[in-house]
Amino acid sequence: MARFEAAPESTAFPASEEHVVIFKLADEYYALDIQAVQEIVRMQTITSIPGADFWVEGITNLRGRVVPVIDLRKRCGVPASEYTPETRIVVVSSSTGMVGLIVDAVSEVMRIPGDQVEPPSAIVAGPENGYLRGVAKLEDRLVSLVDLEGVLPASADEYGSFSRAA
Amino acid sequence: MTSTKGTPLQFDLDDEDLKLFLEEAEEQIELLDQSLVQLEGEPDPALVQRIFRAAHTLKGSSATIGHKKMASLTHAMETVLDAVRQGRRAPTSEVVDALLAGLDALRVLANEVVTRVDSGIVTERLEADLMAVLDSEGPAAASPEAQDVPVYVVPAGALECCWEEVEQGHGIFFVDVVVASDCQLPSIRCYQVLQEMESIGRLAACWPERDVIEAGGGEYRMAGLLVTRQTEEQIAAALKAVSDVAAVRLRAVPPSEATGPIEGFRDEPQQPAASSSEAAEARDEAPPETLRGGSARKASQSVRIDVERLDGLMNLVGELVIDRTRLQQVREQLSSVLRDASLSELMDNFEETTSHLARVTDELQEQIMRSRMLPVRSVLSRLPRLVRDVAVKCGKKVDLVTAGEETELDRSVIEEISDPLVHILRNAVDHGIESPEERRAAGKPETGTISVTAWNQETYIYLAVRDDGRGIDTAALRRKVVEKGLMTREAAEAAPDEQVVQWIFMPGLSTAKQVTDVSGRGVGMDIVRTNIERLNGQITVSSVQGKGTEVIIQLPLTLATTKALMVSANGTVYAIPLVSVTEALADHEADIHTVGGRKTLRLRHRLLPMIDLAAALGDARPRMLPTDGYFVVAARHGDRQAAFIVDRLLGEQDVVVKSLGDMLGARKGLTGATILGDGTLGLIVDIASLVTEQAAVSVPA
Repeated sequence: MARFEAAPESTAFPASEEHVVIFKLADEYYALDIQAVQEIVRMQTITSIPGADFWVEGITNLRGRVVPVIDLRKRCGVPASEYTPETRIVVVSSSTGMVGLIVDAVSEVMRIPGDQVEPPSAIVAGPENGYLRGVAKLEDRLVSLVDLEGVLPASADEYGSFSRAA
Repeated sequence: MTSTKGTPLQFDLDDEDLKLFLEEAEEQIELLDQSLVQLEGEPDPALVQRIFRAAHTLKGSSATIGHKKMASLTHAMETVLDAVRQGRRAPTSEVVDALLAGLDALRVLANEVVTRVDSGIVTERLEADLMAVLDSEGPAAASPEAQDVPVYVVPAGALECCWEEVEQGHGIFFVDVVVASDCQLPSIRCYQVLQEMESIGRLAACWPERDVIEAGGGEYRMAGLLVTRQTEEQIAAALKAVSDVAAVRLRAVPPSEATGPIEGFRDEPQQPAASSSEAAEARDEAPPETLRGGSARKASQSVRIDVERLDGLMNLVGELVIDRTRLQQVREQLSSVLRDASLSELMDNFEETTSHLARVTDELQEQIMRSRMLPVRSVLSRLPRLVRDVAVKCGKKVDLVTAGEETELDRSVIEEISDPLVHILRNAVDHGIESPEERRAAGKPETGTISVTAWNQETYIYLAVRDDGRGIDTAALRRKVVEKGLMTREAAEAAPDEQVVQWIFMPGLSTAKQVTDVSGRGVGMDIVRTNIERLNGQITVSSVQGKGTEVIIQLPLTLATTKALMVSANGTVYAIPLVSVTEALADHEADIHTVGGRKTLRLRHRLLPMIDLAAALGDARPRMLPTDGYFVVAARHGDRQAAFIVDRLLGEQDVVVKSLGDMLGARKGLTGATILGDGTLGLIVDIASLVTEQAAVSVPA
């Protein structure tokens, strides 16, 4: 049971490169760490949960698993729009299990050099934007790096669920 | 002594170690729990050895993580067990009592590792009790020939790597190292000794095996076959320099003998710097099977599988089942389209394949369902201890007979059935079985008998608890019910006995003449019934005064599926568990009134509040009832009822219950989701919480 060799100290420096999945919400580009992304599926039937937060679209059946789905437009305060053939559900694994995120479109997978990432500016980092952990300035556009755990509710207790009556 | 209760504790382990420790501790404590009771009066050597091993393993693992209290308590228990093992002390009830008391404390102590808070248990007193038990009878000297000389088997080819050194004149030494028994971390000391030996020369073989020691599996003793240029004195000095090494003994082995079995050292009680308990300690370590490491550990008959993994497999199989069905549909469509003769062979082939796939998926599904099943033994095996404890407390004599231990049921049900069963058994001993005097007076044997029997029938498991006690006192129950104002005297007198015995499930009733700490305060049987019903089961009782009582529990084999009435409301499909549904009817058939501005359903002389299901669950979307009429589902929880308004009835279905996941958590009125025939999801309604919420309004008509 005891360990005899100390694990190497984890390096405090961020990785020099971010491997991300880029997606669109309205006209903006966002990026999610590819490690967290389990799969990307087309829009499918979602069963709404009565009484859930307005940005919780409901639950969906992902190969036999019940996965909660969040509408990222609603969650991020972007005006809602109709789903299109481009609409995708990005399934991520988080500290609260698998979660689906509805996005307008998934554009590409890419590597962003670490020196192109800046912390979110004061203007972008308003209290409602606590889910961004940086902005990457690419040649042709800006990409916001999404802090996954910031986007998702920390736990069910925090977000108005009810403890069941005995 | 000042109490340390509540102070934070620190242990030497990370999460993975914690899991390992808890799994092992639980296993060993369980083993002790099951076998200590059998120890009394039946000192079967194999049993004693097994118990001793369990205590010893617990001691080792608790010492490894630095749980001093637990290590010292297990050490005391081990000492007593050792005396029993060597025949120095008979396992009287006094001995078993002291050991059981220790075991109870061990449970709490093991849990401290999780809570990281001192539970305030004072082990010194328990240890003193154990020692007192040991001293209360003069210890008979253990026969010296009982200690065999340990034999160490050198693995084939172990010396191959060292022949060069041997040819150069290096010596081969058999080294035996004992770690002090008060050492808290023997595994680390063993590892240090191992390293020290390897720095002195080449270690050709090692007991326990090197992997075991490196993984932290070393205990209080190790041995090695060392090839080195150093002298005996140099080796001994180097190894003794390692902290907590109590004794080092070694002997040169001629190369010709080094490949065969090597005789170890006989343990002498007068070891240097070893107290008598340490001597016992070293003896405990002596049997060679402990030193041969992994190879000697009994191969387990089963593999632990994370339930999550099984659930994952279940989901995949579920998907396969759906694919199979779709393939079969495609086949039918194809065969109707492709009537061409040249294609018939292809079609046959396709049919053969799909039907084979169907067979395989069905079988796979069944196998996986079975892998979640456990024999009910794991619950029944805890009962003898319980019955013994309760019987002693109540001054009764009781024999417990169990049958059907092999009956299998889903592990989720096993976890839930234990508490109700324990409660029923406590009742049987405390209230059912009479005192020995009373039994004698009634012409019964002094020792009462309680039997617990399990069996399968169709998709249910049945558990019957029968006792040959005094039976349920129906006269007392009638009196109680009237006293408490739950019923009129006339109604109580008019009720037949078979009905009266069911009243033990009424909330707030207890017919025990006095409240005891054994059977509680009349909050028992109604909670038992509630719990069983929550599992979609049923409980019935029958009793013959003076002859005994029988309680039968009926439970579904698995909680993974449940029978439900499917309904739709405001565009969503809901599953209402069938156990709670009392009636489902169209609005035009229902006797609907408005009472105090609220819609109320009059059903069988009761007025049930009518609730819109979607609204009750918090559906905030605009609500339109169908223009061609709606439906009403009357549902109950216990004796409370309510009527739910829904749009459509969709029929009955076996639904597989799935959690909504951590992010959504437990939501009011919902217990989970289920996959519908078309692959979309329906929501499973928690009738209990909805009815409880509304029932205050319910009034008798």
